[in-house]
Amino acid sequence: MFERFADDTRKIVGFAMDEARCSGDKRLGTDHLLLGALHDPGPAGLLGVTLDQARAAAARLDRTALASIGIDAHGFERVPMPSRGKKPPFSSGARSVMEGMLRYAMDQKSRQITTANLLLSLLDCEEHDPAAVLLKELGVDRAVVRRRVLSS
Amino acid sequence: METDDLSAHIHSLDPAVGLRAVGALHRLAEQVEAAQVRAARQQGWTWEQIGDALGVSRQSVHAKYRE
Repeated sequence: MFERFADDTRKIVGFAMDEARCSGDKRLGTDHLLLGALHDPGPAGLLGVTLDQARAAAARLDRTALASIGIDAHGFERVPMPSRGKKPPFSSGARSVMEGMLRYAMDQKSRQITTANLLLSLLDCEEHDPAAVLLKELGVDRAVVRRRVLSS
Repeated sequence: METDDLSAHIHSLDPAVGLRAVGALHRLAEQVEAAQVRAARQQGWTWEQIGDALGVSRQSVHAKYRE
């Protein structure tokens, strides 16, 4: 499937891998795919969100959750993470997003899997999914963005 | 928060928040580990000493953090 990725889609998956590694996560999740997509000005414009805003929202969700179990992580600054070690494997949610974007590309009879296909598939993520949680925290109206992607 | 309060509180948490907290703890642990391994190396700790302190093998710390 990866050989059918358009160049920008391939880059987004690479950025998502970096995001997963830098946050210290063991798996590449749908939230990392979303952050990866925001490295690209195209998807960032369609979502109406910047990468910095999304990273800050993810950190805020973490801080709030930690505070709820009595841990104060305010003021903790991120440190550079090692780039060695094994690549984080895809979470099952991230694999579903990959399958979803392939379906969107096939529906359009497109030979290439585009960033629009990736965005539409990310927007399909259901409640409790990390990308859906992050989009909600960012106040993104998924229906509006979907229409924007389809008409772009 | 007192310990008794905290355990009672954790049992009554919304799983959406509680599970997020577990993920955030893992991420925080990785970050603290990266910072502390770096500091220990700068102070001359061996990979073996760092591995023992973390409860993992010398090889696995070295593979993850060698420059």
